[in-house]
Amino acid sequence: MRALRLPVIAAIAATALAACGGGAAPGVIPVSTASCGGDWHLGGPGWHTFQVRNDSTGGAEIDLINPASNAVYAEIANFGPGTTAPMRLNVGSGAYAFRCLFDDQDPMTGRTVTVPGHAKGTPAIEPVTYNQLTPLAIRYQAYTAAGLDTLAAQTATLAAKVAHGHLAAAKQAWLTAHLTYERLGAAYDAFGDFDGKINGPADNGDLTSPDWTGFYRLEYGLWHGQPARELTPVAATLTKDVLALRKAWPGMQVAQLDVGLRTHEILENALQFQLTGHDDYGSGTTLATTEANITGTRELLSLLHPLLVPRYPALPETQRWLDRFAALLEKEHRPDGSWVAVGSLPAAAREQINAACSQALQLLAPIADITEPRNI
Amino acid sequence: MADSAGPGQPADEPSRGEAEPATAALAPAPARRSFLRGLAGGVAGGVIAGGAGGAAAGYAYRGSRPAPVAVTEAADLVTGRLPAVPFHGRYQSGILPDPQQQTALAAFRVTADSRAELASLLRTVTERARFLAAGGLPSPTGIGGPPTDSGVLGPGVVPDGLTVTAAVGSTLFDDRYGLASQRPAHLTPMRAFPNDDLDPAQVGGDLLLQFSAGHTDTVLHALRDVARHTRGGMQAVWRIHGFASPARPAGTVPRNLMGFMDGISNPPVASRKQMDSLVWIRPGAAGEPAWTAGGSYLVVRLIRMFVEFWDRVSINEQEKMFGRRRDTGFPLDSTSIHATPNFANDAAGDVIPLSAHIRLANPRTPQTAGSRILRRGYNYDRGIDEVGDLDMGLIFTCFQQDIKRQFEAVQTRLIDEPLVDYISPFGGGYFLALPGVTGPADYYGRALLA
Repeated sequence: MRALRLPVIAAIAATALAACGGGAAPGVIPVSTASCGGDWHLGGPGWHTFQVRNDSTGGAEIDLINPASNAVYAEIANFGPGTTAPMRLNVGSGAYAFRCLFDDQDPMTGRTVTVPGHAKGTPAIEPVTYNQLTPLAIRYQAYTAAGLDTLAAQTATLAAKVAHGHLAAAKQAWLTAHLTYERLGAAYDAFGDFDGKINGPADNGDLTSPDWTGFYRLEYGLWHGQPARELTPVAATLTKDVLALRKAWPGMQVAQLDVGLRTHEILENALQFQLTGHDDYGSGTTLATTEANITGTRELLSLLHPLLVPRYPALPETQRWLDRFAALLEKEHRPDGSWVAVGSLPAAAREQINAACSQALQLLAPIADITEPRNI
Repeated sequence: MADSAGPGQPADEPSRGEAEPATAALAPAPARRSFLRGLAGGVAGGVIAGGAGGAAAGYAYRGSRPAPVAVTEAADLVTGRLPAVPFHGRYQSGILPDPQQQTALAAFRVTADSRAELASLLRTVTERARFLAAGGLPSPTGIGGPPTDSGVLGPGVVPDGLTVTAAVGSTLFDDRYGLASQRPAHLTPMRAFPNDDLDPAQVGGDLLLQFSAGHTDTVLHALRDVARHTRGGMQAVWRIHGFASPARPAGTVPRNLMGFMDGISNPPVASRKQMDSLVWIRPGAAGEPAWTAGGSYLVVRLIRMFVEFWDRVSINEQEKMFGRRRDTGFPLDSTSIHATPNFANDAAGDVIPLSAHIRLANPRTPQTAGSRILRRGYNYDRGIDEVGDLDMGLIFTCFQQDIKRQFEAVQTRLIDEPLVDYISPFGGGYFLALPGVTGPADYYGRALLA
């Protein structure tokens, strides 16, 4: 390996970071409340690993930014006092500066280092701020509120059909209402305990627990021949819980962070619980649920669209994969409105669906990082 | 991949830290293109300049983007690991070497919906395999996404002797990709032999990938890496993890889980002549499309061993079934492990029964010399069955020029051998290990899709 190492070392000599920070070890960049990066400089473009040391007495977040745009090349979050952390990136031509955020202090930006020429490096991404996300969270709140209005009417219809013993019609009404709920996927956490009551799976598979309520409990009863008199209180409880949620909703908040986070989490859940058939309690409609989850995901993407266009080059590809995924699901939607159960799919069709879902998820995942709200 | 750029089109690189090397690069960076184009690549950076014993010194293995951290951390990163195995070559690198300590086989159904997407998929698999075999540093994503590497091997991807063997199954040549006319002459669905108990869920596949390396983490890291870059293009349909035991005693041959040495009488891989006549598909071979030259047929048989039953069988019975001593691996008529048993002198089977495994598998006659195969077996171990017995056995793999002339001839001779009571083949498939990737611009199956 010796033969190989020599050129590597030579290459490093050409690109090495020259850090001069008042006697600091070579390559170490000190940050503190007094100085954000000190007198550091760069020998040139190429791959670099900066060893950044937090010399302050508290936690910090350190970003390497383009000071002209505030766009971030790399970051060290949750940076403990006295610790050193690596920051690795491919430096291209452009301007670089450290920005230091210490607890209870205004952000500080250190000296700007410019790399001349036309070398391409790791691109910087403009951070998304709380201020940018707040109106989106409010719009999402309104979308959900409208969905809950619809849902309340639909669960009332469902409960009436169950109470009158019209169980075939109740099955239809169940699907309609359940899909409305599933389109609100992004709000799961924001619904708090309501989600468990309205859409909780059987606890540890216990299908007899009197504590089990909501859509899945009702599904289980409707599709397993349970009589109307047994299901009437179940449907009534569902209606009551939905109304309670609708009433509480204006006082509950959608966190800014969640708007981006949910763009992949909704479909992570769909892959884990719907496409596996795990949450099929008899209706065989988990593909419909998944399609509703895609709708919920698209709603979030549509809200985030203006923020993502300049930041995420793979956004169009992401949307194409969601379209492909939805089209594959729609193939399993029969003309009479019923759905093919996931367990009855031919292997090839199921593989196509799983592949499309997985690819969409892979592409959706970066959005949570890109849209994580940051202080600048 | 939905924007299905034509084959050969370079990646729409950057935007995610994938820029060309701006430094004193050691080697030109090949254009990298991902199945997932928006997330082109995912790992770049310099090679891990480590490896045991300098064995890699003769290879031109070096990353295109040297990074300082590679040097400072190299020693730690590669402790106990194997050096990189050259990825490029006329033949795939994982075929001839002895089994490595760990292997993972995964069969996939290709879900790409056009020929262009299939080409994109195979390019991506090639790029990942090339990188993983050489090792290097994952490229950081900054605030642009989750890490590009699983981190299972630590901050850097160590080669650890990783070889990736890519093979195609007969189903790839159906009407989906217009490849029917390119179907290799001997590639069919796997034949079910008497005494087989094949589970359709564990048989076949459009594409088979085998990852072999020195450690379990290395092969699983490689499998995860390839899978994350190919989510839309293929779906795993079955997989199995295998291991090769150390030779015990040292200097002998690794044992299977019945306690017998396995793979003693393989044809010599150092003999180019024998490899040319037994393993590699020859350019211009009768009936073979030209693209198969440099490939090799791969038969995989997943074979459960009923080890509890086996352990209740007397040693005499066991040795008669195999035709070898369990402790030494010697043929029953010989005093050394690699001795050629003299079946002619024992025509009645008084010493080595006529039904013994080694006698049926390789009768050692001029007429059967052409049916020899290059066996590459691994043990597997994966839980328990319905009656609490251990689910373990053999991942039988073999390479050959012609499945009918070789594997099927051998397996036909073995029909109803006494050993069948103690084993049960349940899965596997017939595949064609693709010709090697010859250089940075080449990719798995290029000649097939040309």
